[in-house]
Amino acid sequence: MSTNVPVIDAHPTISEPPKNYLNCSRGFMSWAGTLDHKRIGIMYLIGVSAAFLAGGVFALLVRLHLWEPHGMLFTNETYNQIFTLHGAFMVFIFVIPAIPGSLGNMVLPLMLGAKDVALPRLNLLSFYLWCGGTLLATLAIVLGGFDTGWTFYAPYSLYTDQAVVSIGLGIFLLGFSSIFTGLNFIVTTHKLRAPGLTWFRMPLFVWAIYATAILQVLATPVLGITVLLVAFERLYNIGIFDPRLGGDPVLFEHFFWFYSHPAVYIMVLPAFGIISELVTVHSRKPLFGYKLMAFSALAIAIISFLVWGHHMFTSGQSTFAMFAFSFLTFFVAIPTAIKEFSWVATIWKGSIALNSPMLYTLAFLIIFAIGGLTGVILGALNVDLHLHDTYFVVAHFHYVMMGSIALAFFAGLHHWWPKMFGIMYDETLAKIACALIFIGFNATFIPQFIMGSQGMPRRYATYVPEFEGYHHASTIGAVILGSGVALMVYYLLASLLIRKPAMQNQWGGVTLDWLTPTPPPLENFATPPSVTTEVYDYSTLDYESLRTPVR
Amino acid sequence: MFAQLIQDPAKINYVENPAKPPEIDAWGQLPKLASTFDHVDGLFYFTYIVCIFFFVVILGALLFSVVKYRRKTWDQPAASNVTHNTPLEVVWTIVPLIIVMIMFAWGFKGCMDMTVVPEAASRNTYKATAKQWNWTFTYPNHATPSFNEVWIEVNKPVQFLCESTDVLHAFFIPVMRVKRDIVPGRFQSVWFHPIEIGEFHLFCAEYCGDDHSRMYAKVHVVSAEEFATAPWDKWDDTTPALAAKSGESLYKNLCQTCHSVNGTPAVGPTWKGLFTKQGDTFVGRQREVIEGGAKKTITVDEAYITESVRKPDQKKVAESPYDKNNMTAFPDLDERRIKGLIEYMKSLAAAQ
Ligand code: HEC
Ligand code: HEM
Ligand SMILES: [Cu+2]
Ligand SMILES: [Cu+2]
Repeated sequence: MSTNVPVIDAHPTISEPPKNYLNCSRGFMSWAGTLDHKRIGIMYLIGVSAAFLAGGVFALLVRLHLWEPHGMLFTNETYNQIFTLHGAFMVFIFVIPAIPGSLGNMVLPLMLGAKDVALPRLNLLSFYLWCGGTLLATLAIVLGGFDTGWTFYAPYSLYTDQAVVSIGLGIFLLGFSSIFTGLNFIVTTHKLRAPGLTWFRMPLFVWAIYATAILQVLATPVLGITVLLVAFERLYNIGIFDPRLGGDPVLFEHFFWFYSHPAVYIMVLPAFGIISELVTVHSRKPLFGYKLMAFSALAIAIISFLVWGHHMFTSGQSTFAMFAFSFLTFFVAIPTAIKEFSWVATIWKGSIALNSPMLYTLAFLIIFAIGGLTGVILGALNVDLHLHDTYFVVAHFHYVMMGSIALAFFAGLHHWWPKMFGIMYDETLAKIACALIFIGFNATFIPQFIMGSQGMPRRYATYVPEFEGYHHASTIGAVILGSGVALMVYYLLASLLIRKPAMQNQWGGVTLDWLTPTPPPLENFATPPSVTTEVYDYSTLDYESLRTPVR
Repeated sequence: MFAQLIQDPAKINYVENPAKPPEIDAWGQLPKLASTFDHVDGLFYFTYIVCIFFFVVILGALLFSVVKYRRKTWDQPAASNVTHNTPLEVVWTIVPLIIVMIMFAWGFKGCMDMTVVPEAASRNTYKATAKQWNWTFTYPNHATPSFNEVWIEVNKPVQFLCESTDVLHAFFIPVMRVKRDIVPGRFQSVWFHPIEIGEFHLFCAEYCGDDHSRMYAKVHVVSAEEFATAPWDKWDDTTPALAAKSGESLYKNLCQTCHSVNGTPAVGPTWKGLFTKQGDTFVGRQREVIEGGAKKTITVDEAYITESVRKPDQKKVAESPYDKNNMTAFPDLDERRIKGLIEYMKSLAAAQ
């Protein structure tokens, strides 16, 4: 791609390592007040990982409780609070910001050949808004918890005596954090591309983040308005959603899903981006159907605004609404299918390296196939009337949110870890952890598909005895999954202490992010890069950089 | 902070006496169908097979490539550098499109069948009232309602008009393949044509608060002869002891969620000690209540209990936390049933 690989070493005679963004300045304030996209990315990484671990602990509590039909641990009310915390933490604090905030921030400007994002101050602000929102959500736990489910359906969320306002304001702040990140990435992509980096030479990760950013900016305000209305309704009884005051609870559902369906693509498109990058690098082969892939990211972004009603097929919508929403839902499946097929075609006849990022990627491809295909089952109107609000839906969206998005996040983390820190983790442990996660995940959620189609409703603290066996299997799976994640946390943290040096270009990438020194210097490129070749052209790969350790 | 964190074994927080598990159908995924909505099963298994087909194709291609094209030396280039193949891309866009359009049409047709209520069903209309956390059913030609259990006649299409008096609930009978959200302030209708005799689950499928998972009703599909005897209207109160027994079963159905009989605190006050036995008469306890904002002390008697059941907000128990908790009203409970409940409360005193 860029023909002039930048000079790495500014001090050729001294053995002290070259300055990079990690060691160029020290002290708490040099991080807390930083405007550098890479440092902000790292702070996001720490934050969202902590949120993921907290949400994971809630999930394990939920699964342990369900070991027995009558519930093993908690009162029903506490159980409801815990599953709500699990959902809200995972969706709003982890999955939505995770990839754009951490890896997006870290990699996007590198891929574009830019010094930083276009609006670095806004970037820092959106990180602090994320912190504020997380704090308010955590405060809600201390104030007595909340038990509405992550969907906050009215009118229950208006009547329950718990800390709904605090969490609502938390989500409002998180929403603004998301909008600012999106805005920033749109401007960056338009304005800061290196010379020669035309739209169709951009890596697909950039396309994905760009499509996501459009969704973030257009859809999130609706969520903000909705939670504000719920807060007003609770505080001043204005009567928008409350049927006792003449309001309409179904209106709330429309508002909520008008955001939250696009939101599932806010979550998944960045994951698609990561996978697109990783399949080409680790197969050392250009991405199959690049243009169609870029357009299908945009197509998904647009169509996803028009399918929110598929979450409300049982709510008593008009026949015409059902007709339209079901039709469009099936339509969304097409670009999604194109993506899956193109990834597989990229791997076909590649030079496939079975390292840990690629194993996570393969796990993604298998799990996402199941997640997407079960979405198609749910899109069928009469079938959905049976499956809606059962464990089948729970399993479907865990296949896409946990199994696909979280796994893509892990894949990206393993892929760019050597880039970010210049060090490698223990590959053997990484492969074991990936296997544990893959096995544990499927063991957790396959039984849930079966339970769901047999009629087990979701959000149940206790259940009828015939489902006990499936719940046992699911809980055992969750424990395996949890141990895999714990192992991953261990070896990643351990790598920071062991400091085994990575290679300059650990995996052999040819996009700009791999052509800066590793770890990148403060302003990314010693000399501004320019791009003269097509994207993913592996004939330009400099094999020496794969064997040159980071100093 | 968290209400009461750890489960109290004395409190019953689950469905005590659910119907027997339904049989599973021949393909092993769905409970055996007991209504005429066989297109649900048809389309479910059709999509299932299509999904498995695509999954196997994807998985096969992946595994094959991983085995065949594994990188053996660190600098091995790819076996091919193709970047696209237009015919292939057209095929994998058009073929899935055709398949999903078939699914769409099939699903929509089935959905019309399930949402357009036929004449025969609308002539056999029940009302289902959902409230936190129980069900009340009223019958087309019979005055007495039933609670958390409903009897319907086999081979006769039936419609349920569902309403909610508080939050969202949903009416879900898995074996019939029907589900409908119940929205406060509207009537939502659902119909089906039961074709199997048996006892089945009816779940609340939309989250509705603390005891959502206990909001359960048993559906009895019975023959026309049995239905004619109105099995839900059997209320034996020939002697006070039998009335107390009937009262106890009603208590288990309706009141146990919030009232204990052994002194354990719950959402509402325990019934233990409501009456004490002095010689041959039962004496109600003294109770501080709030009526219209004013606090006063009353003696528990039949009138107070009747009012508590039908209009619980009239006199609220002044003791914390019950002054802040709300009880669901049961305006449909008739005199005889309330009498039975009172006999049951009195029998608690006799048992001491
Ligand atoms: C949703 C929970 C709930 C259910 C179900 C419920 N109650 Fe209550 N009940 C309460 C609460 C809370 C109070 C106290 C506040 C009040 O007086 O309104 C109460 C108070 C009462 C009282 C007054 C008790 C006293 O000690 O003074 C009686 C009598 C009563 N309920 C009877 C019933 C009967 C009979 C049923 C079943 C048909 C029933 N309740 C079902 C919550 C419930
Ligand atoms: C092929 C693509 C997909 C299709 C056709 C599809 C279809 C559906 C349908 C119809 C439902 C509603 C089910 C119901 O509640 O009855 C649903 C639920 C859901 N889907 Fe998907 N889906 C697809 C992909 C995804 C992706 C990629 C994500 C996430 C990133 C996702 C996340 C969710 C979530 C979170 C829910 C349920 C939320 C809730 O009720 O709490 N889906 N999906
Ligand atoms: Cu959706
Ligand atoms: Cu419910």
